[in-house]
Amino acid sequence: MDLRAELLRRTRDTRWVVGFLGFLFVALIFLYYLVQRGRELPAALVTNRVLLFALRNLNAVLILVIFFVLGRNLFKLWVERRGRVLGSRFKTKLVGTYIGLSLVPVLVLFFYASELLQGAIDRWFSASLANVLEQGNAVAQALGSTIEDRNRRDAARLVEQLGSVELEDPESRARLRRRLETWQLETGAMFIAVFDGDEFVNAVVDPRSGLSDLPEIGRALPREAAEQGSAGRVLQPPGTRGRLILGAASLSPPGRRAKVVVVGTLLDPLTSTRSEQLIEAFQTYRQVEVQRGDFQASYFLMFVLVTLLILLASSWMGLFLARRLVAPLQALGEAFRQVSLGDLDQRIDVPADDEMAVVVDSFHRMTDELRANRAAIEASHRGLTQANLALAAERAQIAAILENLAAGVVALDSELRVVSANGAALQMLGLRGADLVGRTLAQAFDGDARAPLADFVAAAASAAETRTSSQLGFPVAGVWRSFEVRGTRLPGGPGDEERARGLVLVVEDLTELLRAQKLATWTEAARQVAHEIKNPLTPIRLAAERLSAKQRAGDPDVGELVERSVEIIVREVGNMQALVDEFSRFAKMPGPAFAATRFEPMVADVLDLYREIKEGVTVSGRVDPEVGEVWVDPEQIRRSLINLLDNAFEASSSPGRVEVVVTRAGERVEIVVADQGRGIPPADRDKLFLPFFSRKRRGSGMGLAIVQRIVADHDGKISVEDNSPRGTRIRVSLPARGAASP
Amino acid sequence: MWVTRALPALLLAGALAAPAAAAPPRIRELTIVIDGGQVLASFRLEDGFSPAILQRIESGLPTGFLYEIQLARDRKRWWDDGLDSTRLEVMAMFNAVTHEYLVNTKLAGKLIDSRTLRAASELERTMTSFSALPIFTFAPVRGRERYLVRVRVELGTGHALGFIPFLRTTEWVDSNKIRITVP
Repeated sequence: MDLRAELLRRTRDTRWVVGFLGFLFVALIFLYYLVQRGRELPAALVTNRVLLFALRNLNAVLILVIFFVLGRNLFKLWVERRGRVLGSRFKTKLVGTYIGLSLVPVLVLFFYASELLQGAIDRWFSASLANVLEQGNAVAQALGSTIEDRNRRDAARLVEQLGSVELEDPESRARLRRRLETWQLETGAMFIAVFDGDEFVNAVVDPRSGLSDLPEIGRALPREAAEQGSAGRVLQPPGTRGRLILGAASLSPPGRRAKVVVVGTLLDPLTSTRSEQLIEAFQTYRQVEVQRGDFQASYFLMFVLVTLLILLASSWMGLFLARRLVAPLQALGEAFRQVSLGDLDQRIDVPADDEMAVVVDSFHRMTDELRANRAAIEASHRGLTQANLALAAERAQIAAILENLAAGVVALDSELRVVSANGAALQMLGLRGADLVGRTLAQAFDGDARAPLADFVAAAASAAETRTSSQLGFPVAGVWRSFEVRGTRLPGGPGDEERARGLVLVVEDLTELLRAQKLATWTEAARQVAHEIKNPLTPIRLAAERLSAKQRAGDPDVGELVERSVEIIVREVGNMQALVDEFSRFAKMPGPAFAATRFEPMVADVLDLYREIKEGVTVSGRVDPEVGEVWVDPEQIRRSLINLLDNAFEASSSPGRVEVVVTRAGERVEIVVADQGRGIPPADRDKLFLPFFSRKRRGSGMGLAIVQRIVADHDGKISVEDNSPRGTRIRVSLPARGAASP
Repeated sequence: MWVTRALPALLLAGALAAPAAAAPPRIRELTIVIDGGQVLASFRLEDGFSPAILQRIESGLPTGFLYEIQLARDRKRWWDDGLDSTRLEVMAMFNAVTHEYLVNTKLAGKLIDSRTLRAASELERTMTSFSALPIFTFAPVRGRERYLVRVRVELGTGHALGFIPFLRTTEWVDSNKIRITVP
């Protein structure tokens, strides 16, 4: 049965119980009325066996009903308690309390009322009352007996006098009439009748007696008198209010029918009534006494009936209230159980307007909020699932991209343990994933030739810059390899920006590239050297050939020619010597000697060298105050600036302007030398920093190569850009190391 | 407390209803004869007319016996032995003023006798002894079966445990068996 059906059933129960209680109330009132009326009713009615039967059976039915109702409900309670049904303990206590509270006073009242009744009955059947009634009855009976005995005696005396009278003879009968009248006067009898056997012969009635007519005696009395000698009767003559007391006597002559004389006395109405009342009162008393047990049983059963009715009502009311109170609790418990199982659509349709309604309303609000929260959580979960799927897809894509990258990528966590490494990184470093993942590089490369990579990681993790890079070289599987390594610290989360979440290493194997670059550089250098050497060789060869021709021709100006040719040869050899010296200097250029350097005086000093060096070309400089002291080799940086300004002035034409700007860009210092010259074609930009590459008519082509070497030695970068509106902008970016970190 | 004293007595009285007697009431001397088309039964109730009954009658309460009479085939192992049944009700009522007992006798609900008696012995005889009472009228039947009459008396209603009603009766008594032959 579902909850709603159960509640509807209980609603019907309510109406039924209210109706039953109303009926019980009316029945009790009616019973009380009967008991009150019972005082006036004859005892015979009270002790009527039908009433006893009805009461006994009603009690039996009630007892059965009570046992059934109580037994059924108590059994159900027991089963519920065994099954630990919610509310069963409360219901048991409530029912027990109700029954106990009603049982005790009802039983006390029952026994007290029974005691009172017994006292009343004992008083009713008291000996004095019985004696009075018995004596009254005896007096009344004695009055009748006395009169009857006197009438019998009179009848006997008269019948003796009838001994010689022939009753069959008509004349005798006529004389009998006169004799009867004479006897009446003598005896004072109110009524005298003569029978021949049981056949009526004659009779006289005293007109003053009150008898209006001859009473109908019948044949039984004379027959009885004839048989027994005498007999008596009491009659209630029609039309009279008194009793007629008859006495009969007979005389039986041998061989003849008996002669019977009946003498009657009419008791006056008052005496008759009083004596009858005495007799009837005694009879009533005897009837009650005979039925005393039934009488007591009737009242006892009435008390039992009332007691049982009250018990039934109280126990039923207890059960009903228990059910009514516990049903919402059970419904709530069941609903909470369903909610705990995930069914948030539970509703409790309890028709209550009391505190239970507040509880139910709170429950409904709770389930509504839970349902709304669950919907929100499910929506959020769906969103998170989709996001996770998207993230997983992206991660897979990124993993695929990383796996297919030519560069090696190694991800480290905040503790610098390797989280992941793509295949290129493992291949470059000659490792397997298991050798690296979960370990720090210091652990992985402890005592290994690849330790510089671990050192770089440690330096990158503690460096001021977010991004660091370096070229490293170490043998891998016995083969020396060169790497470009860039480390990028991952910033911390919101609120924890200072703490890095990890580090990403990007490793590029430069071995082949450097080898190719070296080869190309040296090829170009060889070509340039050959070209530069070839340039002075041509005038030398031409001078030598002209001298040889003059000599063979015997030209008289040969001496002058020799002098000019020697001069040419010496000059070109000098150029060649200068070329060799310059190359030698480039090759022998020492490493940087770092020192804390301020750029302002350096730039001012260099700019002073170039002021008014070229007509129409101005030079200016600016150093950002934030640059401060930087840890560089001042002499090499000054030399680089001079080379860059040389090229700028060489490229500039009047009017023009050369500008030097030094600024701070985060953890780096940028030096920009801009001119407004003719600019550099993109095709030449790649070769600009190669040794001996020059776009000037005169120049060694080593200037920018030296600048690049110096910048590289400072872990810097150099790049070429177009200046606006024209010209070239050379940008040198150097790490802005502090004084304690060369 | 009187209830505790009276309750067992009431229950016992309800269960037994009759006062303790030396012998239980029973039907004696049940005989039947065929007279024309009628079955005449004679029997008497022994030890049924107890002093308690007489006391009850003389208190003026209508008191009587109900005799149940059955006419049956002589078939001991068959259930369909019953042929006819009737009830004989004898009810006495005492008039204390006239000292007379009015005794009415009904057979099958019809008053067959009403007499006024003055002696208790006569009253007892009237209520307990019956002689050649025509109780059944039968149609002539063929066959060699024997028939008998069963009688018992309903002495009144008793109550077990004081409230469970039951009928107090004597045991069924069988008459002599007779054969009804068709001339």
